[in-house]
Amino acid sequence: MAVSVLRRLRSPWPDHRAERLLGAVSLLVGACVIAMIVFVGVRAWPIFEHNGLSWLGPGGTLETQIANMQATSVNPPASAYHLNAWPLVYGTLLTTSIAIVLGTVIAVLSSIFIVELAPARVRKLAIPVIRLLASVPSVVYGLIGVLVLVPFVGNHLVTASEKNSVQDFVELTGAGLGVVVVILTVMITPIMIALICEALMAAPASWREGAVALGLNPLRAVMAVTLRAIRPAIVAAAVLATARALGEAVMIQMVSGGSSYTPNFSHGALIFFYEPLRTLASAIVDYHEGLGAPALRATLYAFGALLLFSAFVLSIAGYLIKLPLRRYQVRG
Amino acid sequence: MNRNRRLTRFSIAMAAVGVLGVAAAPTTALATPTISISGATASYPLVSLLAAKYVKLKPHSVKFKITQGGAQIGINDVAASRVSVGDVSRDPLPTDPKGLVFYPVAKYGICVVTNSANTLSNLTPSQVVSIFTGKTRNWSQVPGATASGTIDLISRTSVAGVLTSFQTLLLEGKKVTEPLAHERPSEGLLRAEVEGDPNAIGFLSNYQAGLGKLNSVSYNGEACNRSTVQAGQYAGIARFYEVTRGPAQGFVASFISWITKSAAARKIISSQWVPVT
Repeated sequence: MAVSVLRRLRSPWPDHRAERLLGAVSLLVGACVIAMIVFVGVRAWPIFEHNGLSWLGPGGTLETQIANMQATSVNPPASAYHLNAWPLVYGTLLTTSIAIVLGTVIAVLSSIFIVELAPARVRKLAIPVIRLLASVPSVVYGLIGVLVLVPFVGNHLVTASEKNSVQDFVELTGAGLGVVVVILTVMITPIMIALICEALMAAPASWREGAVALGLNPLRAVMAVTLRAIRPAIVAAAVLATARALGEAVMIQMVSGGSSYTPNFSHGALIFFYEPLRTLASAIVDYHEGLGAPALRATLYAFGALLLFSAFVLSIAGYLIKLPLRRYQVRG
Repeated sequence: MNRNRRLTRFSIAMAAVGVLGVAAAPTTALATPTISISGATASYPLVSLLAAKYVKLKPHSVKFKITQGGAQIGINDVAASRVSVGDVSRDPLPTDPKGLVFYPVAKYGICVVTNSANTLSNLTPSQVVSIFTGKTRNWSQVPGATASGTIDLISRTSVAGVLTSFQTLLLEGKKVTEPLAHERPSEGLLRAEVEGDPNAIGFLSNYQAGLGKLNSVSYNGEACNRSTVQAGQYAGIARFYEVTRGPAQGFVASFISWITKSAAARKIISSQWVPVT
């Protein structure tokens, strides 16, 4: 009997049944996302209830505020929920925006090289290698950062006089903004290159050929015609890369210095890049051990809620930017 | 698809689940009991040695699952019954959850450490306070230091019991200055940071400080090592505790009483740390 039932299970399903099954699976995914947003929001609510939006602003020392939350372990009074998350918000914005600007420029230029200028053999090798790079786990980058880059910057690039000039407010040990941005850029660029290359290859060759026939040299033709046509794909790649950079936690926790300092450009451009920081995601890793304290738990959920909200805003912004660019779009 | 077929499929699925359930039940009933432990990274080396010896002496009586994370994690985990024992490297605090029982198992010293290239031999209590609260910022202001330039303060994240004890015992209750000091989540990472940075200063339990490649600084003329802790001369003496929710019972109670009473456990504790009695 069992054999005949198994055979029946393997026989093709009627359309209406397959349709319902697939529909149920996709509804389930949607329900999971909504449940997650609601759960994180509810858990984070005490923080916004006690602090309002001044939670996002500057004030006090974050480490002290976190230590107070841990000290009031079981039944925290309202005062224990006090926190000013600005150093983390600033750190997140700073690292993400610098890495995205650098990454986009590098990705666009190298994609043009790979698709339009490189010999076919190089292209065949480069694209799979870049896809592989895009999937390297971030903790591997973090290890290289903490064992190689941070000591190198700390012992060879940061000078004694630079350290002395800011010694009263911040320590320059090598771990900091510069190393974070370099590794973050290396992490997100391969994804962007892979997406932009695909779009470049999908752009109709006849458009570029037409431009060349009108007298533009090949590189100008790519810049003027093909690149314009794939702008939606560039935006899509940047949005995806921003999402990865925003949520990056472990690598940043390892190489950012572990201090909620806000890097200050007035100290000088070089020093600015040596200054330590924390991001929202890396703070969750740093303090996840204190989840037992209710105030700290709500705070970490609030960091998570802010990251979720940013991801939401980001995808809407990406969609709105792409709308006017769609006229000549190839894909994206 | 008719109703009968659906019923058949459903009953077969239910039967499969039932068989799995029945098969799983006896294995859990016969398994060796497990003592799960989480908490202080400072006491981790000691607790692993003790657990290994206990398993060797009493084979098949009990298994261990030991994780680290920080004293506060040990407290939180044991209070929520996520583990059977919490490791804590600081004294009980009034803010700890109610109903926890602290069993002292060993004494240890908290040492101030610098990079091995900085052969600073001694710090007075006021110098330690001044350095760790960020008032003294340059090695040139510290007599005896062979490093030059800015002092790099390396501290621990606020879940660390060693940080709490360090602040109570050696900083006169003052706090390590933040956000100036860089925070590290474990003893091992703090150690790696001080080893790699000639200007660094931090604090470690005497076991980690004695592993070499670091300069352990005397406090008020007393070296920080096992023998000064045992003699009670060193100021920064803290305790490791095993913490249970309510009094320890059954195989957990046997393990803790073995730690505090047996000669074998005493020998392990005396190798790097100091027995409590």
